[in-house]
Amino acid sequence: MANRENIMRHLNIVGQLQPALHQPQHAPYPDQIDNAHWRAYTRASHDVGGEADVPITWEEKEEEVWEHNTFVTCEVLAWRGMWNAEERRRRQNVDVGQTIYLGLPYYGRWLMTIAMGLVDKQHVKLTELIDKIEEVKQRAKENGGKVYD
Amino acid sequence: MIKSHHVEKATGVGDPQCFKGEAGAAKFKVGDRVRIRNLPDIFYTRSQMYLREAEAVVVKLVYESPPAEDEAWDNTDSPEWFYSLLFKQTDLWPDYPQKFSGDTLETELSERWLEAV
Repeated sequence: MANRENIMRHLNIVGQLQPALHQPQHAPYPDQIDNAHWRAYTRASHDVGGEADVPITWEEKEEEVWEHNTFVTCEVLAWRGMWNAEERRRRQNVDVGQTIYLGLPYYGRWLMTIAMGLVDKQHVKLTELIDKIEEVKQRAKENGGKVYD
Repeated sequence: MIKSHHVEKATGVGDPQCFKGEAGAAKFKVGDRVRIRNLPDIFYTRSQMYLREAEAVVVKLVYESPPAEDEAWDNTDSPEWFYSLLFKQTDLWPDYPQKFSGDTLETELSERWLEAV
């Protein structure tokens, strides 16, 4: 079963691709990447089944209000024809890349994907979005809110 | 906002029900043995890497729908049959304990990922 050996080797390689800080691997020359690593890098980053990993703690976490609101907003955008569920999954699980897929909270990726989708499909210009975020931050500051600069 | 073709088709009917009858004759039937094709997986797929080149048995024809690789860009003109497939865990994981050799895993894939054994 040589082919199955290739599959298991692939799963082993992608497990090793989990982002690690301070490992210089930037912009390799073409002869520094073999075919197996090219395939591992370009896979869909949500396909994590079978990757070696450490156990994570199961927690029964209630969804927060902003998470419900994010979900509903995504559904409304589907109903209005901006995307379907599969496109949403592609954008929030794969297009974001492995570092963001593993690094951001689940509904944080949904929320970011809403903004990215609206910009990609030209419903909102990025300059408009930037100005709006800045406007809201300034308003929050004036009202004594905690703002991260 | 312009409504996509997909949402107009699915509204009031449901998805994947809105694709019923569009995939043509199913290539496989319940009980058939199939092998999962190791197709390229660039950009998007829902077909798990750990299933590739493994063998399974068809347990149900579940619905007709565009394959995920098409639907993720809202291409809905080529629906395929989706099959529920049963794998032996010992076929998937080299170190799976033989003590539990009866364990199985069931999952769904579209027809393009399957070949007859």
